[in-house]
Amino acid sequence: MSGILFRRTWAAQRVRLLLVMLALAVWGFLLPVVYATFGKEIGTLVQSGAFANVFDVLSRFTGGDVFSIRGTVALGLVHPIALALVAIQVIGFAAAAVAGERQRGTLEVLLARPLERRVLYATLLAATVLFAALTEAAVLGGIVAGALLFGVAGDLRAIDIALCWLNAVALFGTLGAISLAASVSFDRLGPAMGIALGVTLVGYAVEFLGTLWPDAAWLRPYSPFRYFQPTRILAGTFELGDLLVLGAIFAAAVAWAAWVFPRRDLAAPS
Amino acid sequence: MDAIATEGLTKHYGLPRWWRGGSARFAPIRALDDLTIAVHAGEIFGFLGPNGSGKSTAIRLFLGFIHPTAGRAHVLGQDVSTAGAALRGRIGYLPGGIALYDSLTGTQLLDYLGAFYARPPLLRDSLVERLDLSGRDLGRPIRDYSRGMRQKIGIVQALQHDPELAILDEPSEGLDPLMQRAFYAILDERKAAGRTVFFSSHVLSEVERVCDRVAIIRDGRLVALESVGALLARRRRHVEARLDAPAPALAAALAALPGVSAFEARDDRLAFGLDGDVAPLLRLLEGAPLADLTIEPARLEDAFLELYDEPAP
Repeated sequence: MSGILFRRTWAAQRVRLLLVMLALAVWGFLLPVVYATFGKEIGTLVQSGAFANVFDVLSRFTGGDVFSIRGTVALGLVHPIALALVAIQVIGFAAAAVAGERQRGTLEVLLARPLERRVLYATLLAATVLFAALTEAAVLGGIVAGALLFGVAGDLRAIDIALCWLNAVALFGTLGAISLAASVSFDRLGPAMGIALGVTLVGYAVEFLGTLWPDAAWLRPYSPFRYFQPTRILAGTFELGDLLVLGAIFAAAVAWAAWVFPRRDLAAPS
Repeated sequence: MDAIATEGLTKHYGLPRWWRGGSARFAPIRALDDLTIAVHAGEIFGFLGPNGSGKSTAIRLFLGFIHPTAGRAHVLGQDVSTAGAALRGRIGYLPGGIALYDSLTGTQLLDYLGAFYARPPLLRDSLVERLDLSGRDLGRPIRDYSRGMRQKIGIVQALQHDPELAILDEPSEGLDPLMQRAFYAILDERKAAGRTVFFSSHVLSEVERVCDRVAIIRDGRLVALESVGALLARRRRHVEARLDAPAPALAAALAALPGVSAFEARDDRLAFGLDGDVAPLLRLLEGAPLADLTIEPARLEDAFLELYDEPAP
């Protein structure tokens, strides 16, 4: 890993990262507020049977709700708003990290230094995982802060929060590794970003369909989102297998990039 | 030791033969074919050719950005296909039409790019001063720089760590005449310090001015490799003589002189082309009733155009 490149990457990304983290923290903070304010009423509504089917369907998909603090934490992590914000930072950065520099022509200037391509890749991968860790910490930090401030943190266990964070980092670290593998494989940003977003959106859609439509349930194991289960973790059932599957996909993406990037031709920027 | 030595260096782009199955439509692009050159340590070496002739491909092969289809290249004694980052630590590189990090200031860019090298940026202050980059200029974001300023920063980043070998692709592009002169002086100093400069250019007058030897490539193939002096010595000069009075005998003798071509005699004016040694001409003119004599030196541009007029190798 190159400390010089890492510091430069941090300096280039810190403003966007801070804005995304701030947005995620605010998002996370609001959920316990909503739970503390309306959770009891919504819970009563659910127990009354009215709209039961709607709530059931929604909670089956997102695994989250706002009528329990555990459901609130899960909702904070799996809601499309949170996922999109994390994806902007992690997947957006990773997909543009190499292909974007290729397209701008600055990769050539960088690789003319005494810097191995593998070291460049490892540094960008470390930054990707760090961004995933920080953004997920921001949303969980916001949730915990909101829960503590509004006195609704009673049911939450620190270990479960930590495992949720680990599971989320594993998911976005994996999506980031796939995006970075795409980035080192193309000379232009478009195809790299297309693959990165394609994997993420298709994965999300597959999980969405698989949870709501029994006939499509067989597709779920093929989605990375299937292995992100904060609701189960918060219920006390942590499955190591989820982390192992995500770890295997991460390793495959890293192996691809580490094999392809040093061997490929970097033709003159157009 | 040669600073750069290549042997049959070849780069073809395109699908492999087994994949395209003999279709001419997908025939490979021959970016560089069988290039064998040696750039001596301590010389300024010019690499000439028009756009698309393979200059940048060769440079990219030297730096390991692309991999050869065949042949080998050694730079500073190391095989470029295995040398890796340590070799690039001894090289300074200015890409053609350099792209820079626009959000950084000039100083931040030079600090960042210089930090990768083990050598400190010993030459930065001197280069910045010679290229007329003020502290105010260096404090501005690069996005605000003109093309010439970008080129100047590009030159500084390539040379600031005093590299053993500088590879410069179209280095004077965008520089005004004053800055070009300053840049040529910098190149002369590099040479005086025993450093090697490999430099590609379209500007033939500057190559003639600064280079010891040149290689000319055409359609990816080497068509000439020699010293600038030798290349020019073999080229045609244009000679014009004005006489005090018509001298038909002299005109006939001049027309018959070996190397003379396109001879024209009009009243007291004689004009012709001269290939090769100038001494026989001067001997013939000794004692002739000359009012004026002009021998235009051969120019690299003529040599270059002549090589490009010949049928493809």
